[in-house]
Amino acid sequence: MVNDSRYLLLLGMLACTGVFAGLLYLVKFSLGQSVAEPGKDVPAESGRLAVEPAWVRYHVHYYGFALLFLCFDMEMAFMYPWAVVYKELGITALLDMGVFLLILFLGLVYTWNQGGLKRQ
Amino acid sequence: MENNNTLPTTLLVGLLFAGGVYALAVLEYWSVAGRLAWARPVRLALKLLAREEIKPRQRDAVFYETAPVLLLAAGTLAAAVLPWSASTPLLSLATGALFVNAAFAYAMVALVLGGWSSNGAYAMIGGWRFLGQLLAYSMPMVMALTATVMRAESMVPVQIVLSQRGLWNIVYQPVGFGLFYLAALALAFLPPFDLPVAAGELAGGAWADFTGARRLVLRLGRLSLVMSLAVTITVFYLGGWQGPGLPGVVWTLLKTLLVAASFFGVGHYVSRVRYDLLLEWSWKYATPAALLNILWVGILLLL
Repeated sequence: MVNDSRYLLLLGMLACTGVFAGLLYLVKFSLGQSVAEPGKDVPAESGRLAVEPAWVRYHVHYYGFALLFLCFDMEMAFMYPWAVVYKELGITALLDMGVFLLILFLGLVYTWNQGGLKRQ
Repeated sequence: MENNNTLPTTLLVGLLFAGGVYALAVLEYWSVAGRLAWARPVRLALKLLAREEIKPRQRDAVFYETAPVLLLAAGTLAAAVLPWSASTPLLSLATGALFVNAAFAYAMVALVLGGWSSNGAYAMIGGWRFLGQLLAYSMPMVMALTATVMRAESMVPVQIVLSQRGLWNIVYQPVGFGLFYLAALALAFLPPFDLPVAAGELAGGAWADFTGARRLVLRLGRLSLVMSLAVTITVFYLGGWQGPGLPGVVWTLLKTLLVAASFFGVGHYVSRVRYDLLLEWSWKYATPAALLNILWVGILLLL
């Protein structure tokens, strides 16, 4: 609660980024508009105008990796504070985190063994 | 923890960052064309502004406007935390190392939004490919950073630089450096890993349908992302501002530009990596290597 004003800097940077982009768009806008012609605004799809929106279902093949990623990402949340106090706690910290990582690592090995890391 | 977000410091860091981005634009062209063309970034910007701006029909307007600005923000936000010298962190956060990661994560959001919003199949697949790439690079990158935090006993970037007084982290934990370097290339979708936006792959991938000023903001965003990543590598692995003779800021700038030049150089000589192979290699080799790196640093610290 003491140093909340520091985060104003980040907010200011975000605002400056937005304003900068807005200024560029303004310059672009002042240079003239594009003429609306049929067929000009087709998205890059080999010139074919899609009948349906592109937001229909595409299969994303790497959902297995996504699950693995989630579990390792959660582990990282514990690892940062652990890393800060690591040297203080010494060998205990190494063993504790070692067991935790080993359990997760076994999961990775299991996925690997089951062919989950093959390209699909 | 001291903060030096006074006006001169802010201006200095802003100028250094902007100048670095300009130098990077020149360097990138140099890596492709083999010659230094100092005015080319300006020419390219003017060209993009002068071109007719075509927006895809039936686009998702909100996401279409958000994506370029978000990429630029992702590139610049990390720069607030990274110190150029002992006295120039704009924002000395207790969670600095974590914040850098969090800021970079938005690059993925920006690319997926950009690919989704233009309502073209190629663009969308480009966005999904970058999401797949994130699943590959993110873990090695975060774990490599953790090992530097272990050595410094602090997440504050200034402390991490100070912890490298005797020996730079590139020597202390070379595996971590290698992993972070490769992950940085993948994060900034630089050439060996530029499948999501490569012009020859998916008609431009996630960027296919951005023209004019929005394309310019996207390009600037990518360059600022590369710049931030180069500063991050300098701060976390190359001893930051430390060096004989010259003032600290100059050392940081020199190291940063060298790192960025090496980024572009690598892209020039290595062939493009498919994202599915990248995923496979990352989880089979890079993630275990990152865990071993943590163990290695842990043992070194206890000795």
